Amino acid sequence: MAELNDITNEFIRQEIAEFIERPNERERIINLFARARAKMQAIAAALIDGDNDLVNQLTKESLDEGIEALEVMDDGLIAGMGIVGIKFRQNLIFVPEVLACARAMKAGMAHIEPILSAAGIKPIGKVVMGTVKGDLHDIGKNLCIMMLRGSGFEVIDLGVDTSADKFMQAVEENQVHLMGMSALLTTTMPNMGKTIEAFIDADLRDQVKIMVGGAPVTQEFADEMGADGYGKDAMACVALAKRLMGVESR
Amino acid sequence: MQKIDPAEYQKRLDRLTEILAGIAAHADEVALCRCPYKNRLDQCTAQFGCRNKRQPQAPGSLPICASDDKLDYRKAWETG
Repeated sequence: MAELNDITNEFIRQEIAEFIERPNERERIINLFARARAKMQAIAAALIDGDNDLVNQLTKESLDEGIEALEVMDDGLIAGMGIVGIKFRQNLIFVPEVLACARAMKAGMAHIEPILSAAGIKPIGKVVMGTVKGDLHDIGKNLCIMMLRGSGFEVIDLGVDTSADKFMQAVEENQVHLMGMSALLTTTMPNMGKTIEAFIDADLRDQVKIMVGGAPVTQEFADEMGADGYGKDAMACVALAKRLMGVESR
Repeated sequence: MQKIDPAEYQKRLDRLTEILAGIAAHADEVALCRCPYKNRLDQCTAQFGCRNKRQPQAPGSLPICASDDKLDYRKAWETG
């Protein structure tokens, strides 16, 4: 069995010593990092720190040096995200920090995607996501995006305050067949319906499945607006996205 | 270009999904009492106005969140 001092990266050692309390998790994580290369430990450390520039740089270097993509995922990116999950569960970090780590994960995965593509591994689907016009509340959307990407979807994030024109432009330009809109305010919820109407008016509605979500949104409201589906949270969003793409949910 | 086994890649995606599902579930729990835009340093990361926002301690840093996490923080969000 490996020991904490077998891990070369000081930041990772400190993270484990300070934050990983459950003995079984501690043992598993120590064993994982003790056998991991220094560079993989550095990737994990940068990801935990939410440093997407450093994750970007180290992942690129690792792959250029010939390190296997699966090793980078196992010992760097996913190993780091595992610690992020534990720290979040213990309320040591919160949603903004988790989302920074998810952005760092995306920066690393960007270098792995061409390898996947060359191997014929395609994303489950491509999704356009945005918060509707007039709404600046994006946490729910960002959690959905994190889950979608982690589940193998390619996501085009349009951000907040997204007009119907911007949604339509993104769908057309990227040949996307799935789109998600979120709203947190009852005052901006009607803009989901207006966006769907804009798709109908532009003769684009049949090209794209539309899912909606957000705290005040209900299945009934989604049905009234003519959306193809409603997800009450990030997990439901992924299940819905898979169903709409005709992929079996795990 | 490296080769990658699709089945092995799928195993990694499944493991990552498991981690992220735990995160998403906990985020829903925490959001019942703590504003999700409030970071670990009790700073506000929201791009919209909120009556709980206070001037940052240092110039250029994020505003401070003054919510006590006891009342429903969403009532303080400025929606106009």
